[in-house]
Amino acid sequence: MQIYINNLTFAYGIKTVINNLSITLNQGDYLVVKGKNGTGKTTFIKCLLGVNEVKPGTIFYDKTDITNFKKWTTFGYVSQSLDNFNYEFPITVLELLNVSSTKGTMPQDRLKLLDKMKIFDIQNQNINSLSGGQLQRVFIVRAMLNNPKILILDEPTASIDKQNKEFFYQTVDDLNKNGITVILITHSDELEHLNYTHTLTMYDDYTNSFSIRNEGGEA
Amino acid sequence: MFLSFITDLFQQDFMLRALAAGFMLGILAPLLGSIVVVRRLSFIADTLGHFSLVGISVSLFLSSLGFSYFFEKPLYLGIIFSVIGGLLIEFFRRAYTNYKEISMVIVISLGAALSAIFFALASKTGSLYQYLFGSILTVTSYYIYLIFITLFIVSVLFIVFGKQIIAVSFDETSAKFLGINVGLFQIIFMIMLSIVVSVLLEAAGVLLISSMMVIPVAAGMRIGWSYKSTTIISIIFSELSVLVGLWMAYSLTIPSGAAIVSINISILLIVALTKKIINMRRITKIDNAKLK
Repeated sequence: MQIYINNLTFAYGIKTVINNLSITLNQGDYLVVKGKNGTGKTTFIKCLLGVNEVKPGTIFYDKTDITNFKKWTTFGYVSQSLDNFNYEFPITVLELLNVSSTKGTMPQDRLKLLDKMKIFDIQNQNINSLSGGQLQRVFIVRAMLNNPKILILDEPTASIDKQNKEFFYQTVDDLNKNGITVILITHSDELEHLNYTHTLTMYDDYTNSFSIRNEGGEA
Repeated sequence: MFLSFITDLFQQDFMLRALAAGFMLGILAPLLGSIVVVRRLSFIADTLGHFSLVGISVSLFLSSLGFSYFFEKPLYLGIIFSVIGGLLIEFFRRAYTNYKEISMVIVISLGAALSAIFFALASKTGSLYQYLFGSILTVTSYYIYLIFITLFIVSVLFIVFGKQIIAVSFDETSAKFLGINVGLFQIIFMIMLSIVVSVLLEAAGVLLISSMMVIPVAAGMRIGWSYKSTTIISIIFSELSVLVGLWMAYSLTIPSGAAIVSINISILLIVALTKKIINMRRITKIDNAKLK
């Protein structure tokens, strides 16, 4: 699926947070969105997910305007904070994954993903007994459950330790190699180990720059 | 006392009706209550109850104008008004997205005000007391029929859409990526809840409906290890309190809602205390092991 964003601008009241942002991504691209805290990264994601109304500017998925876009099941999303999730009520990892899977996904796929993310052993544990890192990986599994074409990860490694971080980035690389478009938001500058294809940098003054990675003669 | 309760239970028609009603409500209340708790809407049942009371007061007002049908079956208008209240809450929730509780305050106040006005206008007020605190011992067969239909519809909805209901309740944002129409879901859930609340009103009373829905779940959450186990435990606690509450209401001639809720709270306290003692013992055991 092609993502085509043209002159996106977004403001909270009179405070403009995103200024004339234009990018085009093709299926299989890997975009890193970087910038300090408060530069509008999450706001940008909310625009992409149709939570924030895009005005002025346009976002097209393939040839469909975002306001008419219906195929949200092709997206996988891991949010920055777990605030949106009501995790104090008992529910096991497997129960959560079962209710989060759409028709056509097989139970063994869930187990495979849990195994891949190295959290197979905690499948019958109550969500609220997990550590931040385990919980984050459960949410990553949930985002990948329904074979998304586009995976959006908002600071997904915030509560993961170094070792798991490397493992996580490796997993994202593998998914990307299999043709999934990845949009990864980070405020860290350590990007050498990532195999991204594009970067979008968001600055303190709410301007932004989009660039294609230029490495070893690649265009 | 208990023996005469048991014999009356199976000999008196009104006791059998109370038992049947209690049994079905004992399932309905925590089944929906668990979703209400997950979605952090515990006050919603109270709010809807107040709006349902508007329907009942309007029924009594209409019957004093000569429409006696409404006096005999006030629950119909109760259900309709409760649904209106539910839709109003959803409307205000969307207007104040970051302060969702405001919507409850607006609707609960409107409900209380309108009920008071129509009760004052009606010449026959029936037993207001009964609607405030519940009277499961006086339920009619039409009421049993109504609960049965409600339980049937809710069960079917849970069997067919259970997955989606749970997914949206835990995480509204992500539900969109499962292809769930969250807005539509919320409206359907609100209508379902409004109907259940009105049906509970007769047995529990306006002031105690939310307790019947939330307290067994609060106790279940303390010991449940999964969503399924928590719901099942809540239903068991709920049934237990309905049964013991029924006995108390019968033998002490006190309002059934009050009796059921007292037992509910007793169970919650016992569960919370027991859990605390077990945890403390576990900690001392670990400490002792460390000392050795």
